[in-house]
Amino acid sequence: MKFNKSLIKKETISEYRNNSSLFLITPTMCVLIIVFPILAENRFAIDEDLFIIIQILFLILFSTLFSIRNPINQKSLTKELNFAYIKKSEYFISKITSEFLIYFPQILLFSILFSVFTNSSVKTNIFTFILTLIFFSINTVMVNIIFQMFTSFNNRFVQFILIVPIYMALSFFIAPIWLGINLHLTNIYLLMYLGITIVIYSYTSFYLERGKL
Amino acid sequence: MSNIFFQTDSLTLGYGNEIVINKLKLSLDKTKNYEITGKNGAGKTTLLNFISNNFDGNSFNSKYTKEELDILEISHTPTLLPNLTLSENAIYFTSSKNIDAEIIESAIEKYDLGSYKTDELKNFSSGMIKRAELAIAEMKEPHILCIDEPLNYLDKQGINHLKTLINERAQNSKSNILSSQETSGLLKNKETINLDEI
Repeated sequence: MKFNKSLIKKETISEYRNNSSLFLITPTMCVLIIVFPILAENRFAIDEDLFIIIQILFLILFSTLFSIRNPINQKSLTKELNFAYIKKSEYFISKITSEFLIYFPQILLFSILFSVFTNSSVKTNIFTFILTLIFFSINTVMVNIIFQMFTSFNNRFVQFILIVPIYMALSFFIAPIWLGINLHLTNIYLLMYLGITIVIYSYTSFYLERGKL
Repeated sequence: MSNIFFQTDSLTLGYGNEIVINKLKLSLDKTKNYEITGKNGAGKTTLLNFISNNFDGNSFNSKYTKEELDILEISHTPTLLPNLTLSENAIYFTSSKNIDAEIIESAIEKYDLGSYKTDELKNFSSGMIKRAELAIAEMKEPHILCIDEPLNYLDKQGINHLKTLINERAQNSKSNILSSQETSGLLKNKETINLDEI
């Protein structure tokens, strides 16, 4: 596992200059969050559990928008990596790191904003809450990169259709924890999440190393 | 010891089921210069991409041997990243070689791009991008340098820079592989691979 600092730096600089997530997706989602309670106020009563489910839905939507914001063109990527003498396995881990660094603060901010504007909170402690967000972020980022590096679904719509069910599956691990299951069950869910993360990462790394890509 | 880095008796390349190059016999020496010529659609870029590991088509299970060397391709479309400045691009693309910042600066100056090093590449002309790619190629000193349509976009000064780079590399017994419709006249001692004749 080799981190390429210059690649991480390049990705974060590009992201900052692209204005495609930090300056577009985040405000859009924030507006949705602000509008949602106003719409919800017209109803008789909103159960707090429903808010948590809606928060997870927002999480999926936000992750999907983030994923399809900047599709990787495989041909350009190969050309770029060959020109820089960077292996695909090196790119994979560095890209995960850079995407995580870009994505995690946004999703954390987004979750806090949701709680603030809806006056609701997840029923778990802050440590577990952040841990679930970290797992969710790493997995969604990894799935997105795998999708873009190894499949030819470079059409944003097709990506959207295929990637949403995977993100839904990843969020199923979060839902019970946020809804307040007991500590033992929470630990089991977190361990399962860790296992899934390791399996996805290991399999992809094995695939890349085996092919000496 | 053999200097052959790429050898094939029957190389077939194409895209999907469409064959572009059919049963090409080829042997490339890492100390010699080559020029790939041919008419439009003859497969010059396809062959160059294949040599430089940038090929994304169908090789029809062709059998070939290829030594793992530093191969750099300057293709006819820009490889550098438009959102980064020239300096950032140079640092990123030379990161694998751990080249000093001073050397990067002087290479940029040498190719007359010193006053643009803090500008983003999306504001550059095609010729300036090609010069920047040549500067990076000079810094990285690859074993094999492949250039597709070498004279495209370059002005007189740019062509002189390219000539100097190729001559210096040839003196150091490093291979240059150029691809163009007709002989570019940039290489002195070279072998021509004419794809119209296969």
